[in-house]
Amino acid sequence: MAKIFDKLTARLIETRLLKARQSREWTDTELSELPVMQERKTASRLSAKQKSLNNRLKASAFKACDKEEYIDELLSDKLRRYDVRHFMSYRAAYHSAAKAVFKAQKNGEDHDAALDALAQKTAALDGKRVEYIAKLEEQKKKFLEQNPASDDAEYQALKEACEKEFDEYKAETEKRGAEYVERRTAKLRSKREKYEAKEKELRAKVKSDIELPDDVLLRVENLKMYFGGLKAVDDLTFDVKAGEIFGLIGPNGAGKTTVFNCITRFYNATGGNMYFRNKDGEAIDLRRFKVHDVILEGISRTFQNVELVREISVLENLLVACTRNYRSGMFVQALGIPTVRREDDILKSKAMGILKFMGLENYAAWPAMGLPYGILKKVEIARALMANPKLIILDEPAAGLNNTETAALADTIVKIRDEFGCAVFLVEHDMSLVMSICDRILAISFGKTLAIGTPREVQSDKAVQEAYLGVSDDQDEPAAEEKTDAAEEQPDATSGEEHDATEEKADAASVEEPTEKADKNAESPKKTVAPKKPAAAKRAKKTKEGE
Amino acid sequence: MAYFLNNLFIVILPICITVIVTLAITVIFKTSYTTNFAQGVISAFGAYVAAKCLNSAGLSIWLAVPIGAVAAMAIAIFVDVVIFRRGRYVNGLGKQIITMGLISIIVGATPLIFGAQTPKFGKFVEGNQSFTVGGEQVTVTNNALVCLGITIAIVVLIFVLLRYSKWGLSVRATASNEYVAEMVGINTHIVTAISWGLAGALGAFAAAMAASNSTEISHVYIMTNYQVNAFLAGILGGFATFYGPVVAAILIPLASSLITWFGNTVGIPSLSGWAMVIVYALSLIAIFFKPQGLFGKRTVKKV
Amino acid sequence: MKGYLLKNYGLNKSPLAPSRLTLGLKRVIKNPMYYFIIFGIIMLIIGNLSVKKVLPYSLSTGLATTFAYSIASVGFCLLMGYSGLASLGTGGFIGIGTYSIYYVMTVANLPFIFALVAAVGIAVVIGAIVGFISLRIEGIYLCILTLGLSEILRNLFVVLQDTIISSKFYLFGNSVQRSSGIFIVTVALVIVMIITQNIINSPTGRAMLAMKNSTSAAQAMGVSLMKYRLTAFIICTVYASLTGIMLMIVIRAAQASNSAGFYALITSLNILAAVIIGGYRSVWGAVFGTFIMYGLQTVLLSRVQFFVDNPVVITFISGILVILVVMFYPGGAAQLVREAKNGIKKLIRKIKECRYGKDI
Repeated sequence: MAKIFDKLTARLIETRLLKARQSREWTDTELSELPVMQERKTASRLSAKQKSLNNRLKASAFKACDKEEYIDELLSDKLRRYDVRHFMSYRAAYHSAAKAVFKAQKNGEDHDAALDALAQKTAALDGKRVEYIAKLEEQKKKFLEQNPASDDAEYQALKEACEKEFDEYKAETEKRGAEYVERRTAKLRSKREKYEAKEKELRAKVKSDIELPDDVLLRVENLKMYFGGLKAVDDLTFDVKAGEIFGLIGPNGAGKTTVFNCITRFYNATGGNMYFRNKDGEAIDLRRFKVHDVILEGISRTFQNVELVREISVLENLLVACTRNYRSGMFVQALGIPTVRREDDILKSKAMGILKFMGLENYAAWPAMGLPYGILKKVEIARALMANPKLIILDEPAAGLNNTETAALADTIVKIRDEFGCAVFLVEHDMSLVMSICDRILAISFGKTLAIGTPREVQSDKAVQEAYLGVSDDQDEPAAEEKTDAAEEQPDATSGEEHDATEEKADAASVEEPTEKADKNAESPKKTVAPKKPAAAKRAKKTKEGE
Repeated sequence: MAYFLNNLFIVILPICITVIVTLAITVIFKTSYTTNFAQGVISAFGAYVAAKCLNSAGLSIWLAVPIGAVAAMAIAIFVDVVIFRRGRYVNGLGKQIITMGLISIIVGATPLIFGAQTPKFGKFVEGNQSFTVGGEQVTVTNNALVCLGITIAIVVLIFVLLRYSKWGLSVRATASNEYVAEMVGINTHIVTAISWGLAGALGAFAAAMAASNSTEISHVYIMTNYQVNAFLAGILGGFATFYGPVVAAILIPLASSLITWFGNTVGIPSLSGWAMVIVYALSLIAIFFKPQGLFGKRTVKKV
Repeated sequence: MKGYLLKNYGLNKSPLAPSRLTLGLKRVIKNPMYYFIIFGIIMLIIGNLSVKKVLPYSLSTGLATTFAYSIASVGFCLLMGYSGLASLGTGGFIGIGTYSIYYVMTVANLPFIFALVAAVGIAVVIGAIVGFISLRIEGIYLCILTLGLSEILRNLFVVLQDTIISSKFYLFGNSVQRSSGIFIVTVALVIVMIITQNIINSPTGRAMLAMKNSTSAAQAMGVSLMKYRLTAFIICTVYASLTGIMLMIVIRAAQASNSAGFYALITSLNILAAVIIGGYRSVWGAVFGTFIMYGLQTVLLSRVQFFVDNPVVITFISGILVILVVMFYPGGAAQLVREAKNGIKKLIRKIKECRYGKDI
């Protein structure tokens, strides 16, 4: 009983701590966005002022301008409109004339009559045009009589006055804006201190017995994930260090995405531990968190196929990642109280900043439906960045991109690491991308570690070469036979397919079914296929290299 | 004992009707991937045609009901060919809404064709069978026995067809994956059309049974309650198999009858009013804990 | 002229500064909330005229029924268009409202507010139950399951009391006539529409949309499936039970065992069809669709002799309409309006091009 009570109180403290932390984070966001928003507000106010001043100037500008030039432009505009309007009449005249001519030629008659008619018609139309021009000339004369010559002095005086007024207004607005920012910042700072104190107080009560070296961000120990009898991930151990780009590679069906899904808690791992150093530098046990809580601790991810909300704009898509950050509850939102709009503005400002960083600010208002695939991939990364993550998990970010886009993506990923100070953990099939940007790489096959280390080390590792990149032709069977365990892991196209098939089988198999049978299922392809492999394997390798 | 048997015999007819309707709904669900809400009214339309043959043309019921079945079959095939074949790329919900549009159409058309009055309907066979058990009289109507016979014949025939005929194989292939079935050379259009026709005909038989029980067709919604039970039976048994829904369709009316019997034996007669509520609640609980149905298999969701 | 001044003096195009009035009007036009209020005022005026027999009386009954059902449709629109869930339990949920108002006001003689609290309370509980179920069961299965739940409620009502009649209705101590029900219903509908629109435009609405598009992506972005599914179903159920209350104010009688009555499957299907016809992501569309399903007959078609002689023809036509919309125009009336708007804009541009040449 007492144990349960203890557990409950611990839980309560944790939720309170989370709340305090979120409040503090919110004030942080507000603090960082405040000057940007104020700047934007000032700019819009200034442009409005400019507009009104311009309108005041307009009357005298008319007086000041060169009347003849002015009326000329006005009348030429009128004439052009007249031409556009009467273009069709000319066209009709020519058309009918051409018809008549063809008809006459067909009948072997003389077609001068038709040409004469055309000449008459066009002459009439030309005459009308000349009349119109004369009318315009008359108008011009009248206008010049009515409006005396230009009076530049008044305009210049007014313009100077306006400029002065604008300068004054500008100075005042900027001053007021700065004052407001200062006031608000002070207020937010005090608020933040309060939240921080509360956080400290609460954190003292929470005891954590997880030990994680300072430079390690994510530690995965003996991770196991079995589907029925199929071992998708088997005893995987690795560390991701803070601020590094960590790559995970492996052939199809090697269990890479499964590792991601275990870390982001989509799958409940069969065994093993996952520790993470969260936003506050606390070591936490990821297995205690729900799927939708992981993002609050500082892990955000993208998906293999773009999973954006199609109906709303790119900017709003970014806001989806901040659903948990809103301070106002659902009732406040339903009643449409203005605080929601203010919070929206703050987050939108933040989102615009991130979009600018990704070079997407022009797409902010576009609906996500119908944008090119490369843009959508970028938007997804931007969305992941919205959550202030410590670790970004990218699931095949270069899939479906061309070479230029991939190169640009590599730059972006490095830039994200440098700018946002977060570690990047990615799965990718594009070897050039992985090898060029990753600090360290983990190669896995059938859920087991093959090699871990710098790109160079992994590249030169024999097991990796054979399992993943394929054996080159001059280094054939004898070498493969020497290394028996490597042969066991050798996945070629066919065994990969079989692997998928068994996976499906295991998926479909009910959980109550005894696991022995499925175990056999999972292991049998390896055993049976391995001996008679060489020929088929070689063919498959060739095709793979061809790709 | 006698009371229990009486109770059991009364529920024979509802069981027969529910089983047939469930079978029809399952066949359509498997081939068209939708729940056919219009099943009830299409069946009722067949019954109306049969009633017309009975009353106006004076045909015997054994001739009138098959004619009604053919009419319902024609309508169902028409629906499939004209509407569903074109709306193949409409999503699941859209298909459901199409079937509910069909309800409105048929409900609107029936009075236009058959007039507003409620048509009379005969029994298949008149008379009762009665015998004594433990000194008390037990009665069962001949009509119910005949219906039971028809139902068993239909169910056995359909299961044999599904298991051993070429059509059955095609239906099972289409049910498992329409596109792959098409790729391996099965004409899914014909399979679906036959399934719809079969469902329409089955529904008409069921509606005729329901009408023969009350000796009239009171309104077009005569089959709605059975249809709701059939849907529930479908997911209670699991649409993954053909036998699951049928077993569930037997269970639902049976359970309600058993609850009534239990209430009367224990001395709570008012329990009979709550029977359906309890049965539905139990089924919902069962489905909540086994979402794939009693006979369905669990699958792991992929992310 | 414009070009000249712009070139030489850096002046903006508009010859006149927009006045305060036009600015204010623009703000009204840009904010959809005001549309709801304007709509409510117009409907109140029409209702008043119709109750006073200036306009035909059937108008007020038709509109009142439409608006009562519209509340449920708006909730259903939120559920289907934004959360991607569907339910066929609307009929049963409507029953919650009618029965709570019957038991609280007619049987127990308590004020209206208690009925409202009871209806909303029960609806919240039932909505939460359905929401929990929706976490495990999805798609067509969920539809049928809610249908089962609705049948449970209906059977429950049959057992409790088959026919209910509440002849008198009091609001703040004043007796409300049946004819003046339209005023209450209109006000309720406008409030519901405003609240729904707020939710749609808020982070909650976006979270729901994310959930509809991909549950896994939504979860990865911190959207708790349980919270939002429960919310969606609770809103839908509460709105449906409000519809029940409003129907009781307007119609005053209901029969549970009637297979074409309030609580039957046909009501749930009609609401579904209404939302589909109107366009399933638009509050206005939901109201329009409900008008087609419930109001058209009383308000418009009853003036045509042919439809008075053959009332079933309307059912027939509505069925055909539903099928046509689903098959050939999935966006519904809302899409029609959107396309018409774009079309008009395009037309205006074309005319301008014709008059002034292409480069203007």
